Amino acid sequence: MLEKRFVKILAVLMILSFVSVAVLGGCSKAPETSQSSQGEEKQEKKEKVLVIGYDRDAEILDTIKTAWYSDALIYIHDRLVSRDYDFKYKPGLAKSWDVSEDGLTWTFHLREGVKFHDGSPFTAKDVKWTIDTIKDPNTGSPYRNDLKAIKEVIVKDDHTIVMKLNYPFPNLLFNLSNTASGIHPANAYEKYGDDYGKKIVIGTGPFKFKEWVKGDRIVLEKNEEYNWGPEWMSNRGPALIDKIVLRTIPDENTRIMELETGGIHILRNVPVAHLERLEKNPDIQVYRGPATKLGYLAYATDKKPFTDVRVRRAINHAVNREEIINYVFRGVGEVAYGYLPPALKDEYLEESKDLAYNYNPEKAKQLLAEAGYPDGLKLTLSADNSSRSQKLAEVLQSQLKEVGIETEIQLYDSASYKAMLKEGKQELFIRQYSWPNADILDWFLLSSQMPYPNHSRWNDPKTDELIKKAASMPTWEERAEAYKEVQKYLIEQAVWCPIYIPEQIIAVRKEVKNFKYHPWMLQYNDGFDMMVE
Amino acid sequence: MLKYLIRRLILMIPVVIGMTVIVFLILHLAPGDPVDLIVGPNVTPEVYENIRRRLGLDQPLIIQYLKFMKSVIKGDLGVSILQERPVIELILERLPVTLQIGFAGFLITFVIAIPTGILAAVNRNTIIDYSCMTGAMLGISLPTFWFGLLLMYFFAYKMRLFPISGYGSLKHLVLPAFALGLTNAAITARMVRSSMLEVLRQDYIRTARSKGLAEKVVIYQHALKNAMIPIITLMGLRLGWIIGGSVMLEIVFSIPGLGRLIVESILSRDYPVVQGSMIVLTSSIILANILADILYAVVDPRIRYN
Repeated sequence: MLEKRFVKILAVLMILSFVSVAVLGGCSKAPETSQSSQGEEKQEKKEKVLVIGYDRDAEILDTIKTAWYSDALIYIHDRLVSRDYDFKYKPGLAKSWDVSEDGLTWTFHLREGVKFHDGSPFTAKDVKWTIDTIKDPNTGSPYRNDLKAIKEVIVKDDHTIVMKLNYPFPNLLFNLSNTASGIHPANAYEKYGDDYGKKIVIGTGPFKFKEWVKGDRIVLEKNEEYNWGPEWMSNRGPALIDKIVLRTIPDENTRIMELETGGIHILRNVPVAHLERLEKNPDIQVYRGPATKLGYLAYATDKKPFTDVRVRRAINHAVNREEIINYVFRGVGEVAYGYLPPALKDEYLEESKDLAYNYNPEKAKQLLAEAGYPDGLKLTLSADNSSRSQKLAEVLQSQLKEVGIETEIQLYDSASYKAMLKEGKQELFIRQYSWPNADILDWFLLSSQMPYPNHSRWNDPKTDELIKKAASMPTWEERAEAYKEVQKYLIEQAVWCPIYIPEQIIAVRKEVKNFKYHPWMLQYNDGFDMMVE
Repeated sequence: MLKYLIRRLILMIPVVIGMTVIVFLILHLAPGDPVDLIVGPNVTPEVYENIRRRLGLDQPLIIQYLKFMKSVIKGDLGVSILQERPVIELILERLPVTLQIGFAGFLITFVIAIPTGILAAVNRNTIIDYSCMTGAMLGISLPTFWFGLLLMYFFAYKMRLFPISGYGSLKHLVLPAFALGLTNAAITARMVRSSMLEVLRQDYIRTARSKGLAEKVVIYQHALKNAMIPIITLMGLRLGWIIGGSVMLEIVFSIPGLGRLIVESILSRDYPVVQGSMIVLTSSIILANILADILYAVVDPRIRYN
């Protein structure tokens, strides 16, 4: 009797577990995508699926509202302006544009016959709605400030749109070619309500939004009607692949294993630790090039001792950049002396290295003594808690110690780090930016950007003047030259201590044909020209 | 019994409320601002203030808390700050994923731990006992996520029997469930062994043997049933823990479960999501313990709840 009852309990427990697994499994079972090599082989229809691995998922798929632009948005939307492999601005949804003499009126002539994924035709109204919505303070768009040069958007006719500017602004083409400037159908928010950006995303791009399993994957499907790709693409019609799956794989080791076993085809931002192994793998092609990123040591320039330019220069002299590249980055990457990444060919100041401060601990000590700190300094060194920053902080700590600067390392998670910088508690701190335009200097160093993102608290009228002048130069070339002046001045003032330019490392499996490396908008061609075998 | 259950369920309320206070305070007092993450740093103060007001973050903490609790009582867990979707929707999306792995792991624990524990207890101080317990010791010492990585490396990466990571099919479930199940089985097996040894020393076991019962009957009928109480307690605790405790496993295997939702929301200071998930998590742990209490009475007729 007793035994029976016990067996019954056991049985009930087991059945319960089985049932719950089965039921829950059933109700949340998502359609199988080719996530694994096994899955792919079994697929009946020979669908061409490209799987790309990422470390994090999108929060909301809406270029207007998000500050984290998932690559999915690049494929879903088109922009007025596109950027080719040489970084030149080329037609996108606008087939051409004219600028008035004074640089204040821009007229864009829009492509005809373009359709949104919901079937509605693309017209000037959609452009106006998109830009107006970004600019509306009630939307709370993170991109609002980037379009502040635009005073007014006027629909001239269905296929002509006029933008009136507050001041000449040649960088408008950059801003209009960013992911954040993807064009949405007019009144998308009213039409689709709260589901927009979550369950419905409408653009004119080569891929349509199909499915989003939060935290796992975003699935995009080929837009069969697409034939308005930019001229510089070899394929302007419908994409050669049927589906793109953007998978979220938070763990680094897992991402690498997925790549090696074919669970994903492309991995961007390959950590240097895995570089050697992947380069030896015959199934994988590794693309490398300088990134449009810059890592630097900064300091609160409105606080003692950093108010003294000699101290700032001393810190620049104290840092051995080669050692950092070799030790922290395993020799992958370039040393940096200037304030922009050299990949920005037009704007980068070539003579940065000659003007800047080379590694020279004796000079550093001497400068510190002159500034009144012959016995050295005691400071805090803050960093985010990523392993790269931790390692970098430790190396910097020992290098600074050699010239008599004792540091105490403080690590923060990213939200706390931001809050701390905003409050202005920092002394020395480590940052890395990633941005393909010289206007990053406006962002970080204009006095109006204090306390954040101007976290080095650089409040200097001359810098403001130089930057504002550069930003409103009437042509791209003059603008680039003016930004070189800005860089020269920043180097002289030693506002930061630039350290390294990391390498952009992309690993691509051999099944993928036609992949083209691009230093910035890496993924732009994936949707059109690329093939998966 | 029913009265007892109702009392336990009522007692749950203060525990959940206490938890919400603690979670709410810790979250809001921690540095970091979700609005920063929505709007990016380059935002005018008026837009920033607009959004804070819209989210109610400009109000004093106590008002924010009371508002939050008021809507919780109405069954509304609020809306995610970053994803702009109802929290309950986000949780219901993720919970089944975690439960699947949790229950599958639980099952594996159960099926492995009990026979192993009994085997070790019955063959005490023999080579069988030693090898079982060495295995268990190893299992306890291995962190679940690391064990998961090992399984992934051998069975998915080297042998290609399973997908490396991801979610969506039964095959995706196998490795994480085993990683969770086996490490839990190690602790449980040790518990089964010591509990069995304790019972096997009792007088009634000697009586059972002396009246000539078969050893099998003695062990499975007389001993195991009495040894179950501490095991049920442990498993009740583990059941709750399994639901919240597989965070690292979810990260390693890229499983879009509740644990990852909580961690990601904490890092982005998405207050409503963290609070909502914690309510669900706490409730499930308490419920698992109540379930364990009920099982006591089923297993041991001497236990009565009045």
